[in-house]
Amino acid sequence: MAKVKVATDWLAACAGCEMSLLDMDERLVELLEKIELTSTPITDLKHPPKEGVTVGILTGTVNNTANIEVVKQMRERCKLLIALGDCAVFGGIMTMRNFFDLNMALKRAYVETESTVEGIIPGSEEIAKPVQAQPVNQVVKVDFYVPGCPPSADTIYHVLKELVEGRIPVLTGDYLKYD
Amino acid sequence: MEKMVNIRINGRQVRARSGQTVLEAAKAAGIDIPSLCNHPALTPHGACRVCLVEIERQRTLQPACTFPVAEGMRIETESPKVVEERKFVLQMLFSERNHYCMFCEMSGDCELQALAYRYGLDHWTYQNPYPKIPVDGTRKYFIMDHNRCILCRRCIRACGELAANHTLGVKFRGAKTMISADMDVPFGESSCVACGTCLQVCPTGALVDRKSAYMGRQTQVERTKSVCMFCSVGCGIEIITRAGRVIRVEGEWEEHNKGVLCVAGRFEPVYTARERIMSPLIRKNGETKQATWDDALDLMAERIKNTKPDRIGAWTTCKTLNLTMSEFVAVFRGKVGARVGVLEPTLSDLELPAGGSLNDLLASDCILVIGADPLSTHRVLGYHIKRARMKGAELILVSNNHNEMARFADRRFSRDELDKAIRIGQAASSPVVVYGEGTNKKEAEKLGGLKRKAHFIPLFPATNGYHAKVLGLQSGLNTDGMDIVYLLTEDIAVPEDVVRQVREVPFLVVHASTAGPLTEAADVVLPGLLWSESEGSLYNLEGKKVPVRKAVPIPEGLIPENEVLTELAARL
Repeated sequence: MAKVKVATDWLAACAGCEMSLLDMDERLVELLEKIELTSTPITDLKHPPKEGVTVGILTGTVNNTANIEVVKQMRERCKLLIALGDCAVFGGIMTMRNFFDLNMALKRAYVETESTVEGIIPGSEEIAKPVQAQPVNQVVKVDFYVPGCPPSADTIYHVLKELVEGRIPVLTGDYLKYD
Repeated sequence: MEKMVNIRINGRQVRARSGQTVLEAAKAAGIDIPSLCNHPALTPHGACRVCLVEIERQRTLQPACTFPVAEGMRIETESPKVVEERKFVLQMLFSERNHYCMFCEMSGDCELQALAYRYGLDHWTYQNPYPKIPVDGTRKYFIMDHNRCILCRRCIRACGELAANHTLGVKFRGAKTMISADMDVPFGESSCVACGTCLQVCPTGALVDRKSAYMGRQTQVERTKSVCMFCSVGCGIEIITRAGRVIRVEGEWEEHNKGVLCVAGRFEPVYTARERIMSPLIRKNGETKQATWDDALDLMAERIKNTKPDRIGAWTTCKTLNLTMSEFVAVFRGKVGARVGVLEPTLSDLELPAGGSLNDLLASDCILVIGADPLSTHRVLGYHIKRARMKGAELILVSNNHNEMARFADRRFSRDELDKAIRIGQAASSPVVVYGEGTNKKEAEKLGGLKRKAHFIPLFPATNGYHAKVLGLQSGLNTDGMDIVYLLTEDIAVPEDVVRQVREVPFLVVHASTAGPLTEAADVVLPGLLWSESEGSLYNLEGKKVPVRKAVPIPEGLIPENEVLTELAARL
């Protein structure tokens, strides 16, 4: 049987969800017998292949115009899109800046930080523009949600294993956590 | 006899008391209907809609917490329709404000979060509009984060119904509704008395205790049932500890105070920063030096044995636990033959009854307060007097001085007019007399006229005054002609005149847990325990013996007061 192709990518994220993925330890090896990780932010290939994958996993908050591109590309190239972690599911800690004016937030981050000397707010045309921090489902349709900050290795293993075996994962008990 | 009705919950035949709500009837039958705004100690309100259930022949779903049972009623608590609506209610609650769990203090103990887990909420249907909502940090002991508030109004009901303080209310309407204090002032500038009852009932992270925030969740802390030792009401408390440290105090719902505490019992003890005494001290050449227990007790025994009993005096605070106080009497009166007494008045010379309860207050139609200011010294009792007033009781205050209770008094008399107050009490059907140390013997005699009718509540100036009264201990320090004085003061702040008097004593032993002017004047200092380290019992306001339990380990080298006294007796 052909392996199930899985691609992951991240948006504005802390890499905690990726750490949790790696935290599956030897179970990752077991899963890799059934799935092929085509691309991840922590391997050489970063983008989901053009020919598409079965499962796409996104972590992090949609935070700028580049994130929107990543989200749209993943949606186009995968059959089943999973939002993994509180940021992708709810918007996460990044949404704290939504409670402030964007310029105030940029100024605080790039100019007023205690360690900053002569800071400037990046304004190059070539870089992405910030947007309101938001969860993935505000940009594209999400098929499955796995909240958690980060979701535990057990949860991620449970979700992938259920999918590989052709079942829709059910998140109950310790699998469903918001923190 | 109570009327019973037959109802069906989820197809199960249940007998319920007429007048019960659907929620109460279900709970009694062991059927769990989730609820948020409902709290067993508060009147049902129906604010959150989480407890919606399907009731046959009702057009819409009904809140179980406010809907009364009736004969033949058929109820479904987890039908597909109910579950769908409940999830919708939860989605609405999450959509309104900032309910990101990952940086919330309550995450893990939050009732809203627990329900979201129970109903499998894995994402939000309605995206948060990120409203700018303030945090009020103007109160010393706890913070109100409106962002976490679900407007269940438990805090408002606790403030009004339990503490009878009526500080909290709401302002604005609909999604803009906000919990507010008085006429919309910051909480710290409001009429709030910081009793913390609202904090204890808040189901989410909207009310956050400053001291115990992020210090551990329910599964990580230990809870010890004990008694508050800060006044003679003797409120039931739960001491919450982690790794041998007290992080918070909560009111015990099962005891006579029914969860309510005051600022002096809930917060102040956790914040105390007074210097502890960690080993016995002996004064040599004008300076106090650390000593062993043996040295200190040997020295004491030596001095006591070489002094005539009538030149030895021993006084204790009434704050001591039963066993310590009895041991104190056994050693100093029984074995030494010294003059013994207590530092605070015991009200025994008034020869008035005791034993009236907080429930007697709530059931009373006329409350006489004399020689006491409960709202500043016995606050939880003061709150109960205010609660009784809300139910229609008349409050008669007899006082010549400033009194916190004055604002709430229906009638106020000067002490010369006591007869008038007593006449009103005599005309009432269930009067309660609350008397304190400001009452004199003559007034007590007059109050005696109400003995057959009224309940009497003495407000002892110190925690275990009831036991001191039972033991017949004389109150008042008199060191005239004393060569040795032993003072057991626990952690009380001793009045200046006591310090002045005992400074003149040739040999002074102070048994105290915290350092102060008294320990500085002492020839021998014996270290004592703190409230959270003590184990034993004391008498509460109702004269009921209640167990005091040790919540944190006794620091190395310290010994409970009663054992120290036993050790001393062994050397005499």
